Formats: sequence, C-alpha cells, structure tokens
Amino acid sequence: MTDALPLLVVIPLFAALFPVALGYLWSDAGWATAAVTALLHLGLASVVAQQVINSGQFSYAVGGFQPPIGIELVADSVTAVLVVLISVITILIVAYARRAGPHQNAFYSELLLLTAGVSGVVITGDLFNLYVFLEITGLATYALVAANRSPAAALASVKYLLVGTIGASLYLLGVGYLYVATGTLNMADLAGQLPAVGYDTPLVVTGFVLLMTGLAIKTALFPLHTWQPNAYAESPHSVTAYIAALVSTAAAYAIFRITYTVFTTSFASVVPLALDALAWAAAISVIVGSVLAVVQSDLKRMLAYSSVAQFGLIIAGIAVMNEIALTGSLVHLVGHAVMKAGLFVAVGGLASIAGGQTIDDMIGLGRRAPIVSLGFATLAFALVGVPPAIGFAGKWQIVLGAVSAGHWAVGVVAVISTMLTLAYFLRIVERLYFRSPSSVDEQTSDMSMNMTTDGGDAMATSISQTTRVIVTLSAISAIALGLAASDLISILEPALEVYF
Amino acid sequence: MAEIISLRPLIAVILPAIGIAGIVLSRRYQNIREGATIITAVSTVAIIASLLPAVLAGNVYITNLGSFVPGVAFTLRADALGTLFALLASFLWVITSFYSIGYMRGLGEHAQTRYFASFAGSVSAAIGVAFASNLIILYIFYELLTVATYPLVTHDESDAARAAGRKYLAYTFGGGVAVLAGIVLVFWSTGTVAFTSGGIASLASIDPLIARGAFALLAGGFGVKAALIPVHSWLPDAMVAPTPVSGLLHAVAVVKSGVFGISRLVLDVYGPETVAQLGVGVPLAVVAAITIVIASVIALRQDNLKRRLAYSTISQLSYIVLGLGLFSPEALIGGLLHIPAHAFMKLTLFFCAGAIHVETHTDNISKMAGIGRRMPLTMSAFAIASVGMAGLPLVAGFVSKWYLLIGSVDAGYPIFAIVLLGSGILNIAYFWPIVYQAFFQTAAETDAKPVVEFSLGGQWHPIRTDGHGREYGDEHTEETDADADADADADDDADITAASDAVNNKQSDDTDSESSQRETALSGDPSDPNAETTYAVDMYPSDHTTADTEGSAQKTTADTIDDTDESIDPDSASSDNETLNTGMNRGQDSTGVDASSSTDSSSKSPTPDASLLNTPETEVDDNTDTSANIDHPDIDAPDDDDAYMSDPVWDRRTIYTESTWFMLGPIVIAVTGAVALGIIPQQVVFLSLIEQVVTAATGVII
Repeated sequence: MTDALPLLVVIPLFAALFPVALGYLWSDAGWATAAVTALLHLGLASVVAQQVINSGQFSYAVGGFQPPIGIELVADSVTAVLVVLISVITILIVAYARRAGPHQNAFYSELLLLTAGVSGVVITGDLFNLYVFLEITGLATYALVAANRSPAAALASVKYLLVGTIGASLYLLGVGYLYVATGTLNMADLAGQLPAVGYDTPLVVTGFVLLMTGLAIKTALFPLHTWQPNAYAESPHSVTAYIAALVSTAAAYAIFRITYTVFTTSFASVVPLALDALAWAAAISVIVGSVLAVVQSDLKRMLAYSSVAQFGLIIAGIAVMNEIALTGSLVHLVGHAVMKAGLFVAVGGLASIAGGQTIDDMIGLGRRAPIVSLGFATLAFALVGVPPAIGFAGKWQIVLGAVSAGHWAVGVVAVISTMLTLAYFLRIVERLYFRSPSSVDEQTSDMSMNMTTDGGDAMATSISQTTRVIVTLSAISAIALGLAASDLISILEPALEVYF
Repeated sequence: MAEIISLRPLIAVILPAIGIAGIVLSRRYQNIREGATIITAVSTVAIIASLLPAVLAGNVYITNLGSFVPGVAFTLRADALGTLFALLASFLWVITSFYSIGYMRGLGEHAQTRYFASFAGSVSAAIGVAFASNLIILYIFYELLTVATYPLVTHDESDAARAAGRKYLAYTFGGGVAVLAGIVLVFWSTGTVAFTSGGIASLASIDPLIARGAFALLAGGFGVKAALIPVHSWLPDAMVAPTPVSGLLHAVAVVKSGVFGISRLVLDVYGPETVAQLGVGVPLAVVAAITIVIASVIALRQDNLKRRLAYSTISQLSYIVLGLGLFSPEALIGGLLHIPAHAFMKLTLFFCAGAIHVETHTDNISKMAGIGRRMPLTMSAFAIASVGMAGLPLVAGFVSKWYLLIGSVDAGYPIFAIVLLGSGILNIAYFWPIVYQAFFQTAAETDAKPVVEFSLGGQWHPIRTDGHGREYGDEHTEETDADADADADADDDADITAASDAVNNKQSDDTDSESSQRETALSGDPSDPNAETTYAVDMYPSDHTTADTEGSAQKTTADTIDDTDESIDPDSASSDNETLNTGMNRGQDSTGVDASSSTDSSSKSPTPDASLLNTPETEVDDNTDTSANIDHPDIDAPDDDDAYMSDPVWDRRTIYTESTWFMLGPIVIAVTGAVALGIIPQQVVFLSLIEQVVTAATGVII
C-alpha cells in the first residue's frame, strides 16, 4: 500500500478545507475534523512504518512521473519514525486544544495545513518539493503564532514571517545553485551528479552553505534564532507545544537529509571545513542557548532558548559525520519532540492555574497541581539527561560518536550541556516544590482573580484532565523510550548505515 | 562461580520503588504510610538476605533486561561486592525508618509523605547502584540517586536548605558529568564498560594517557559523592537536612555509593594490577590521605555537632579510598570493611545527634555540657561509637583500621600507616571532649575550647583561656582582641560565645583604665545614655561581699566585666560579683569561670554551683545599680536554639524516659552492630563477602 505515503500529505491538506467550509453550519466542525484527520494520519503512518519495517526503504513517484523529472517521495526508517511521531503529537495537541487552545475553526484549518506541511518535509525526496513543504509549514506557523490575536503575538508572527521568509529564500537560492550545477532537483540523483561537478567547486560549496543557513534559520540555531523566543512566548499554549515539537524538528531532519543523502560523507572528506563550521556553530548554539535560558523569567521563552540549545546538540551530532553520533542525533530528535511537547502542555496547564507564565508564578504549584508538576519535573530531568530517560540515550550516542570521530570539542560541550540544562530547569523545580507563596496577600489575590471573569485569561481552579493525561503520557513515554532506546536505534540503523 | 539467572536482583531494586506508590497512596493515614515504609524496608532486606548463601559460595545472580544502548546490556548483577552494599543499605534503611518516624513526629515536621517517598526512592537507587553490572547502569542509578535525595536535602524549604540543595545538585551533577566523560573514554577505547572481575583486560594495553585520563575523570566524578577534597564542601552544607537524612547521606546511600563507585572502578573496571601498573593508585591514596588529615583538622573547629560529624565523615570515607588506592590485599580488605564499619558507627553518631536535637533542641557542642545526665543511653552509644571511630579495639573501626595499617606497610608506603594513626589521634581529639563534657562536666565547669573558638596558629598578643588578654590592662590589645574575636566570628559556625566576647571586648574598649571599665560595660553599649562616668564611687556602689585580695581585685575587674554576657543582670558592679558572674556564664562556655578562679586566690571558696545560688541575691542588690536594663538583646539574640539557657543543670533521666523508643531502638541496634563488627567480624557476614571480593580481584587467597 504505497499510496499511503502521499496520502499522509493529501488528507490533512484536503481536510484543512472542512473547518472553514463547514464552520458556518457547525461550530465544532474544526475540532471534529482535526480529530478525525489526526487519527487517519496515525493510521497511514502505521501503514508506512509497517511497510518500511517489512521491506525496507521504498519510494513513490507523484503523479506517476518517474524521477528525476517527477517528484519522488521516499520512505526509509527515519521517515517512518518521524511520521509516526507527527501523528502522535498531532493527536495529543488536538486533544489538548479542545479545552485550551484557540477555538476558532480557522485555527484547526491552519493546524491541519501545518500537519500536511511537516509530513511533506519528512517524506519528500526532492529538493524543491522540500522548499514547497517548508513554505507551507512556515505559512501555517506564521498564522498559528498570531492565533490568540494579541498585539504581541501579531508582532512575533510578523518577525517570524520576515526571518522565516528570508530563511526560505536562502534555501531556495541554494537549491537554485545546485540546480544550475547539476540540472536535477531529485535528492538521490543529485547525490550521483554532484561528484561529477566537483564537491569543492564554489557553486556546490556555496549551495551547501546557503541551504544550511536557510535551514538553520528554520531550526533556530544561534545566532539565527531570534524569531523563536517571541514566537513561542506569545503564541497560544497548544500552538507552542506543536511548533516546538515539530517545526524545528522538520527543519533539523531536512539538514540531516541534505547533508547525508544529497551531499554524502564524501563531501565532508573533500570539504571538511563546511561540516566543521556547522559543528562549531551548533556547539556554540548549545552553550549560548543554555546561558540565555538561565536568565529568562518567562517560562516559555526559557523553553524556547532551551530548544535552541537542544537543537544545537542535535545538529552537532549530525555534523560530526559519525554513524553513532548520527543515530544519537535522530534519537534525540524524537525524544526532544516528545519531551518539549509535554513540557509546553505542562506549562500551559500550570499557567492556567497560576494566572501567568513567569517563573515566579510557579511558586508553590507543586502542591496545587501535583500531577502536572511531577510530570514537569520528570520531563525536565529527562531533558537534563538523567538516565534512563530518552534524553540520556541520544546524548550518550552523540558524545561517543563525537569522541570516536575526534571532535573533542563537540564531545565536551555535549557532556557539559547536562550542567547547563540543569541550571535553568532547577530554578523551576525549586519554585514548584520547595518554595511557598510568601505572603497571604499573594494567595488572596490569586483567589480574587479567580472570581473575576474577564473573558480572556480567566484563571482556572484546577488543571483540565486532558492536560494531566497528556503530561503524564509524555513523561512516561520519555522514560519508556529511554528504556527502549536500543530498539529505537536498531530501527533507525538500516537507514543510516547506507551513508557510511 | 556459577551465574544464576534470577529475578531477585530486579525485585530488590523495584520493591522500594513500589513502596513509593504505597507511601504516596496512603498519605492521608500516617500510620499506614509509616507501615508501608516498614513493610517495604523489611521485605527488601529479606530479598537481599536471601541472596546471601549463594553469593557467599561464590555465585552471582543475574537479571538480564535486554540492551540499553548499543553495546551496553541492561543487566543487574548481584555479586559479593554488590550484595555487601545492598545489604548494608537495606538493613540500615529499616532502622533509619523507625528512627525517622520518631524524629519526624517528635519535631512535627511538614511534608512527611514527600520525605518518606524520597527515602524509598533513594534506597531503590542505592540498591540499583549496588547491583549494576556495568558502568552505564551504575551511572543511571547514580544520577537517579541524586535526583531522589535532592528533595530530602531541601526538605526544610528554608533559604539555607534551598541553597544547600542547589549546591548539592551542582556538585553531584558535576561529578556525574565527569563520570560520563570517563565512561565515554573507556567505552570508546575498549568497546565495553562491563564490570569484569580483575578488570577490563584491554585497559592495560591502550594508550596510558587515555587510561589515566579516564581513571582521573571517573575517580574525580565518583569522588564528588565520596567527598574527597576539594569537592567535599557540599557535605557540610547538606547538614541542613533532617538528621535521618544526614544519616542516610552519610552512612547508607549517597556517600557510600560514591565510594562504591570508586571500588568498582579499582576492582572491576581497571583491576588492581592495572591500577598499580598505570601508577594511578598512589595519587588516589595521596588525595585520600590529604582528605583524612585536613577534614579531621577542620572537624576540630566545628561547634555544631552535625557539622563536626560531617567533617568526620569526609575524613573516614577517605580511609576507604586509601585502602582502594593501595595495591595490597589487606589494604583492600580494610578499605572495603570500613564501608559497613563506618556506616554503623556514623549512623549511631548521627542518630544520637538527632535525638539530642529532638529532645533538647541543642545543636552546638558548647551547650552540651552535662547532657549525659539527660540522655544517658544516647551519650553512651555516642561514646562507644566514638571509640570505634578512633580505631580503638572492640568496636568496628578497629578491625578495618588494623587491615589498613597492615596493608599500607605491606604495599610499601608506611607513611599512610602514620597518617592513619595520626587520624586516630585527631578523632579522639574531636570526639573525646564531647563525651567527656557530657558525662563528667556540668555547664558551669566548662569553658572556651581554644581550638574551636580562637584562630588557629594563635594570636600576637597574650590571651587567657577566658578569651581576654586584658589582664595587663593594655587598651591597644583590647582593640586587637576585638578584631581577633571578630575574625574568629568569620568562621563557618558563628559561635555565640565568640560573638559575645567581641561585644564584651568592644564594651571594654571604651575604657581607659581598668577602673573605669566596669560601668560602661554594665550598660552593655558604649553609646548608652545611661553609661556612667568613670568615678570610682559610681563604679563600686556596694561593698564587697566575697573576700578578695586587693591586688587581684584590680586585675580581675577587667576580666570579670567580660563575663557579663548573660541575660541576667550583667552587673559586675562590684568585684565581689566576679564569682557569681562566672557562675552566670553557664553554657556560654566562654569566659572566666576557671580564669577568674585562677587569678583569684583560694579565697574563692564557693563552688561554681554555689556561686550560681548566689546569683539571685546579688542580682537583687545590683538591680539598684546603674544599669537597670537587664536584658541585652545584642548578646542574647544569637542564642536561639538552646532553650535551657538559664538552666544549666540538665534533668536526670533514665533510659526509659530520655526519649522515645523509636529513636532509642535504632541507636541501640546501630551501636550493637558496630560492636558486633568489632568483636566477631568473622561471624557478621560482611567480612566474608569482602574476602570473596578481594580473593577474586587480586587472586590472593585470604
């Protein structure tokens, strides 16, 4: 059933029409459509995964046009894992958005568009097609960031739009260079043509740099990350969780795919400077992201900078050109998506009863919201790298691979990132559990706020059951994935071996 | 050496974790919750004890759970060394649980569910550390142990507790980072991290630089939890935790897991021969020896009992590391035997400290004079455990020390034997005063301990043991006295007496001549508007009531003023009050009781106790004096924790009335264990396990 592959994109794309179309008849059309589509998406993803596990990598020619002229969709085990991840996160966020998120039908349309875009990035085997899906993702995200209609959100969205479009344009420029050099846009074909052109020709190297820079903007590596803190902080909680889990993930996947499938390890041996520069940039991103996270007082901004650091780690693992490190990067990619989604949903829940999303609003919430706080603490320590959670497995592989490849700096930075991550998470855990609200006034003011219904951000008395379930599931998955890390690695391995 | 496939190691690790669920679910019913803890603890000991017969016969229990990351198997393995640690941890958890019940309820502590749940989690992680079959699994449980013990350290939720918790996490995660780096190096260079009896063979043949670097990283990382200098300072700060937690941290889980990590490193990762061949064993032993000496010296200076015990722990843990660093079977036995020996002794000491805190709210040694009357059983146990810490025979510490001494000489480094013997003397130096003053002194008889309160190395000007060098009436030295005493305050533990001495000396700074000093001192504050002038008629408004020699009166007036640091009227308006001033100083420990009696001629007939009786009368007399204000808040303020300030004599209690059996029972059991380890070490299972371990590691049949 190879048709499942394009349907992964087509069905959400098509379904995105329904919330707006049916919205006039039925106000709940948005959520219902999104729920059904998410479940369908999971079904399709399982089919694809099943196929990949049984018979290995397969491809699909869109419209029957054979590559390299036609667009080719490729599914290997990395793709399979990521589409399943996309499905699961979509289901969770749709469930969460039922109570918490923006309730307009337009929101659900945009969400489904985003699902289509992200799925497309992950399954495509064509460079320009990747650009198209990157743009779909971007456009949907720009709209979603502004979904809660506040001025700050609109500003964040515009900033993201500007920076993101520049990034996409740089990427397009890179694609153009490669097209000029080889005359093909298909990834597998490019891999064959580029050696003939010569890896060290200025055209090819510049193409690589442009591609990487554009994608680095999308992944939000330092210093191209500046759109991310605002976008995460100002968007609604459900949106933040979704884009934190999937958008940068898709861009990081694109970096992986282009580096290994299009340019291959031979490029790294001919032009080592290119990959070394990427590794160094990523390592700096780890450190700077963590340091900037420590000084934040807004919880979502802090988690945004945390993403900057974590993606730095992932890209560093990709850039050292070692199979063990690459496996670690992809494991960490999956794990980080799960953990960040859980963290942002937990933040949404905690902020709803605290009335704010700053760190000091979290004081004493360990008692008022025990389940969500415990989930938050578990996910925080998982991200720090406390084994056996998934955060450790990826980090271990990356460090081992970096040391094996001789990239001692990346290894050292990866090991130290534990301490850096601890620095910013400990502040929150301390405030959740080991501080109590200092004055009676604080408590009474909280209660009086609860009584006023100002129709926008009224404080809830307790966190919704859905939130609790999602956070708990996320925390348990982080630990379960960690324990099953070797299974995950053995699934990913067949796809990665071919590159070395 | 058969391998027995069994689920029991896994069950032993999981049981306390399941106990967490039981504790949390029964949080509203205190007794059921405590029952859950006890049941979990007892069943954990039972499971681990059931492993003993086969392990003693040389077999190993294995639970295989698949692969964790490629190349690393997730296996739990109960061998002799692991069973030693697991048995120690679980057994001591049982008695610590009973003690915790008594302690937490005695103090009416908050968040008890979190406390008991974290305790169970810590023990689960500790047993996981014990049964780990390779470095990665050890690292997993090592980090989980850190996370599980953090809520215990921060239990109080005060600023000091939070700061201590932050420091604790920073240090232990930093150590974890170093351990991870070392593990990566080992795995990268040899392809395996599994514990192999005798060491991983290929480590002997790789590049020595990498091998030494990995050893340094691993030893340093584990050394953070093992409290080696210079990464030891989290431990004294962690004393802010409740005392059962300090007992757990010091005797059972955290520090012993650090030492256990080092022992696995030396015995099963590198192996003793490779360690000797690479030449990394002796530097480790040197670091340990430095830690032993420095920590003991710092311990001498601590007035807070728990801090003193903390530094004592730092010192004693390095006995174990010392034994591990020397390439000699006896040293290995001594080091490993010190794990249970020190555990029992230190747990006893901490339990005693906690019982004293609960029953009398006393934390500082300077207030504990005569406390043997109030808590006879506790202090007797304390005395026995101290004897063991010093390495005197009949208690556990002697046996391990004996092996260590023989081992050091055997390995060719008799210097370490001298260090050990010196450490024994230092142990006596910091434990004996506590025991002596508890039983053989009362508050009135004690005075300032120079080592605790004054700067090491002495001072430039002459100083009497009552803290004042003003017998020569030298105002220049008075200022420096104040400075010196103010410097002494800058020590970790603010001693009230030092503070009050400084205040007193500042008061006396205002005086120009010895005759003028007293009145200003009376007011307690140089800027006090009631401060009198320097006229003699004002200085001596009443007649002497005790016989004094003329000459000494002038001299001692200067001194006695400094005794005016009590809430009771600090009038030394007449030199006749000098004796009662000295009597009033009970528990302040500082000044003048014996000093003034030394300058006095034998005319000072009343005993200190009698002089106390004099106090009320003369107090009435002197109330009419200039300083009508009796209380001097600046002197009294630091004195928060001793509720018996004005009552210098402890009640006499019997062992049935001194404290609850929740606390006394564990104390008795712990001290009995310590004595048993000292008298019949062969019958108590630990030595047999250790002989197994060392035989396998070194090939020498013990």
